[in-house]
Amino acid sequence: MIQFTNVNKWFNTLHVLNNINLQVKQGEVIVVCGPSGSGKSTLIRTINQLEPINDGKLIVDGKDLSDKSTDINKLRAEIGFVFQQFNLYPHLSVISNITLAPIKLRGLSKKDAEEQAMQLLTRVGLAEKRDVYPSQLSGGQQQRVAITRGLAMKPRIMLFDEPTSALDPEMIGEVLAVMQDLAKSGMTMVVVTHEMGFAREVAHRVVFMDAGTVLEEAPPEEFFCNPQTDRAKQFLNQLLTPMHGATCN
Amino acid sequence: MLSYKFDWSVITSGQYHEWLISGLKVTIQLSISGILLSFLLGLIVAVMRMSHLKLFRWSACVFLEFTRNTPLLVQIFFWYFGSYKLLPTAVNEWLNNTGFEFAAALIALTIYTSAFIAEDIRSGVLSIPKEQMEAAQSSGFSYIRSMQYIILPQAVRITIPPLVNQFLNLAKNSSLAMTIGVMELTYQARQVESYTFKGFEAFTAATVVYLAISVIITFLVDQYNERVLQIHKGA
Ligand SMILES: Nc1ncnc2c1ncn2[C@@H]1O[C@H](COP(=O)(O)OP(=O)(O)OP(=O)(O)O)[C@@H](O)[C@H]1O
Ligand SMILES: [Mg+2]
Repeated sequence: MIQFTNVNKWFNTLHVLNNINLQVKQGEVIVVCGPSGSGKSTLIRTINQLEPINDGKLIVDGKDLSDKSTDINKLRAEIGFVFQQFNLYPHLSVISNITLAPIKLRGLSKKDAEEQAMQLLTRVGLAEKRDVYPSQLSGGQQQRVAITRGLAMKPRIMLFDEPTSALDPEMIGEVLAVMQDLAKSGMTMVVVTHEMGFAREVAHRVVFMDAGTVLEEAPPEEFFCNPQTDRAKQFLNQLLTPMHGATCN
Repeated sequence: MLSYKFDWSVITSGQYHEWLISGLKVTIQLSISGILLSFLLGLIVAVMRMSHLKLFRWSACVFLEFTRNTPLLVQIFFWYFGSYKLLPTAVNEWLNNTGFEFAAALIALTIYTSAFIAEDIRSGVLSIPKEQMEAAQSSGFSYIRSMQYIILPQAVRITIPPLVNQFLNLAKNSSLAMTIGVMELTYQARQVESYTFKGFEAFTAATVVYLAISVIITFLVDQYNERVLQIHKGA
């Protein structure tokens, strides 16, 4: 579904992605973690070309991103992207936020698009918020709407860049629950997050990044209980609550 | 001077009253079509000015420099006297029958005002967080569509106060159209003055009407703005 082959990217002289090789299969859930500035956001943003790569090969849903003939807008319509800061459209109501792209890009009628949006909103528990504006929602609610906005395009891949980092602790659970639900439905997901509980429960693999490189890539149990590199050990020590550690033998 | 007798009846009824009313109609027509067209053209120029295509950016810059840095009166004369020579005869004939003065004045006012509107909109767009564009493009919207559905609607809301100013300027500037014979309000007030020598009354009436137009435009946009701001208050 997604294949990085020797991908490199620079911001001026800063080597943000250093020879990345990574493969994500259909239906897989990948969690990307690592210290701040290690290139996690950059990595995930290359997948829908919010950040173009400088070197190497990146194939997404069968399309080569460096190929001039790839219609990037069409490809992006197949990939949902959820931001840390939600980035809902403040001038549109919840329902319009969700139906805008399906109506304009998929050619759905307003009625069909709204029907579909209501089904999704019901699934994330926000049906009664359909006519409210984003500024009237809590952070957790906004993020659930943002996820719904992505899902309304019936994407083949969903990308999440620290979807719960901007949330008050009591709202993190409601967003993770939606993501968990989505993972169970077989969606291909790449999630940048430090929510290790989520990683443990739903990730097929954890990717650990440091200084622009993928240092480790392993199933969650293996990564958490038996990290190979000192950097990962250090990172996990800072991050993990005793509860997480306790489940390793 | 003191022997001047005020006679307001000249402007409140009769033939001269009708002249003023017909002038007012033309002023309103010119202003409203000017506001709509200059807003549209301003939007287009603003988008071109921000495009990543050099050709668009460059032509928008040239347009802006020319229109903002030449007097409106010269531009009105240019379209009235100058463009007449450039157009095919058939077009000229058609224009003559439909009021070429009006068209020339409208074109000049539209182009002139659109330059200022474009710059106001551009600063509005620059104040929208870049994440909005990223969110729109992530959904699959092209640059132009993202502008159309997501960025510009927000930018225009922010830009409303300066836009009102440009609209007021346009309404007031429309009086310059009298110089090429458009029979708008100022032109008619001048006519009334030269027929009746009641200049004070005629121009007082014109002044009050311009003031009223300004107040009405400001009021309408305020109403609209109020509603929009309501939405953004929320939590
Ligand atoms: N547009 C940009 N221009 C220049 N440098 C950038 C840009 N975006 C990111 N960087 C730099 O690239 C490096 C990687 O950034 P990135 O945002 O990918 O890290 P991250 O792992 O997501 O960090 P965080 O956990 O803080 O979100 C950082 O050093 C950052 O300062
Ligand atoms: Mg980041």
